[in-house]
Amino acid sequence: MPGPESLVWVAAVTVVIWIGVFFYCLALDRRVRRLEEGE
Amino acid sequence: MTERKRSPWWPWVLFAWMALVIWAAFFYAPAAKGFKGESARIVFFHVPQAWVAVLAFCVNLIASLRYLRRRDLVDDARAAAAARLGLVFSVLATVTGSLFAKVMWGSFWNWDPREVSIAILLLVYAAYFALRESIPDDERRASLSSSYAVLAFVTMPFLVFVVPRIYWSLHPDTLINARGSIDMESRMFQVLMGALAGFTGLFSWLYTLDVRLARVGLKRRQSEES
Repeated sequence: MPGPESLVWVAAVTVVIWIGVFFYCLALDRRVRRLEEGE
Repeated sequence: MTERKRSPWWPWVLFAWMALVIWAAFFYAPAAKGFKGESARIVFFHVPQAWVAVLAFCVNLIASLRYLRRRDLVDDARAAAAARLGLVFSVLATVTGSLFAKVMWGSFWNWDPREVSIAILLLVYAAYFALRESIPDDERRASLSSSYAVLAFVTMPFLVFVVPRIYWSLHPDTLINARGSIDMESRMFQVLMGALAGFTGLFSWLYTLDVRLARVGLKRRQSEES
């Protein structure tokens, strides 16, 4: 049974995954914007 | 000199919202009764992923029907974007479901009706992309894959909503249970609703990006051809 310490770890890993997904999408958004401006 | 468009602000709202949802999922919502340890907290990620997959397949159907009616390749790009995201979120729902299964029932895969039906659904939509990849001509690809998408969608409600309810399953009650009520602790319910909104926002963002990218590609190809 996970204790409160491991719950913090799982939450931290989830936050790291979310940060990765978010900044990937943000970078993709900027790239798409540049491509649209270059049309 | 053309002025560059500023990046929108709303992704940052989504960023903060999802960060709040993650915090609430682990530290605001109480541990659910009747589950091993903290395993039930996965519901805040697993259910929204499954919801987004269903939403994406619905968008795929609408875009496919629009393509069949209007023959506009942007509609085909919309259908493909939705199916791609539906497939990704189905895989995520399967993975999170397997993690829960390992904690609760001791095995990642139990041949439960829910597990089997999502696996079949994954194959149905993987075939959609196999079909797309096998046809080089844009119009023909769009036409055939839109027709296939309509047929694929018929299996979706059956596999997601009907099969798991016909057979006995290890899977916990769905949000709206067989008695038609919601038996969930109020804080858990709040967090789940927040997560559903957040994941829907993430889907909208990813879907818009995919369609915009496809639209740029289509315009480029059309200008090269003309």
